Amino acid sequence: MHQHPHYQRLLELSWRRKLTSSEEAALRACLAAHPELQADWELEIALSETLARLSDAPVPSNFTALVLQTVERDGAQGRTRTWRWRFLQGKPAWLPRVAFAGVLVAAGLLSYNAIRPRPVEQVAGGLRVVADVSSLPSPEALKDFDTIRALNASPGVDQELLALLQ
Amino acid sequence: MSAELDPDAALMIRVKEGDREAFAELVNKYKQPVMNVVYRMLRDMTEAEDLAQNVFLQVYKSAHRYEVSAKFSTWLFTIVRNLCLNEIRRRSRHPADSLDIPHPEQEDQPWQQFEDKRTASAPNTLLHGELEEKVDEALADLPENQRTALLLCRQDELSYDDIAKVLGCSLSATKSLIHRGRETLKQKLKLYLRTGAWPESK
Repeated sequence: MHQHPHYQRLLELSWRRKLTSSEEAALRACLAAHPELQADWELEIALSETLARLSDAPVPSNFTALVLQTVERDGAQGRTRTWRWRFLQGKPAWLPRVAFAGVLVAAGLLSYNAIRPRPVEQVAGGLRVVADVSSLPSPEALKDFDTIRALNASPGVDQELLALLQ
Repeated sequence: MSAELDPDAALMIRVKEGDREAFAELVNKYKQPVMNVVYRMLRDMTEAEDLAQNVFLQVYKSAHRYEVSAKFSTWLFTIVRNLCLNEIRRRSRHPADSLDIPHPEQEDQPWQQFEDKRTASAPNTLLHGELEEKVDEALADLPENQRTALLLCRQDELSYDDIAKVLGCSLSATKSLIHRGRETLKQKLKLYLRTGAWPESK
């Protein structure tokens, strides 16, 4: 950007349109005060004129008709796509429901498996184990176990005395 | 900006309601400015035509998203720029690929087969010949954002603010882009600009 804000402002105006007479007078005053800008200004004007002289790109005479034809064709394709999409959307519409139902069933089965009544054989087996445990002497009965065991450890039968007695 | 103030916005309201005549009116009004920008962005007449048609197709398809408060020309040239950028990126990814090569699904389209391209000669064969080609080359050598800023600056209907909106940058950044672009052009075209003619050696 130029160091002269006033010149820069006039320059920016000249990029878009011809300067008004008052703007041109301001520009002349600016160039008189800063003659070093004169060459730049001349180049700017020449460039603006050159860019303005660039010819328009040719547009086919049937351009609008082609665009409308494209819009029409695209609209028809869009309608087909919409129909297909709706058809495809039919699947996603019921598929999540089925998937959700599947999840519910699986969760139900797992829960049922956790709380369901056990088979008779399994219950009988369990009872058998409990019965075996209940047939054992109670800890109360075993509290004199060591004493009784010590009694068993007494000397054996005196066979001679037994014979005499007989 | 109300629809009463901007006739283009009023037309767009009709386009939103599916009015093809209103759409045709907009196409007729803007086809030349759009083609001018697109052609000088891509420098290929066939691609420019295809892309310009695509711009208007996008306008039609996106009409429901158009906010009446927005200036139509700003919205339109934003679409133009986005599609041009897409094409420039596509070219950089596939340098040998061209829109001239018909796509299989387009081969059976009558207008693609029978359109007479001879009626649409490139602008550098018109009026200014070599001079125009040199200016076009100098423009093409500019960075994309400077080139777009300069091309949009030629559009009377766009203010600096509008150009800034299209470019997605601030007003001062936009003016800076234009300034830098013009400085480069002045350097490249200096000989012509000073003498008013291209030197024979060029």
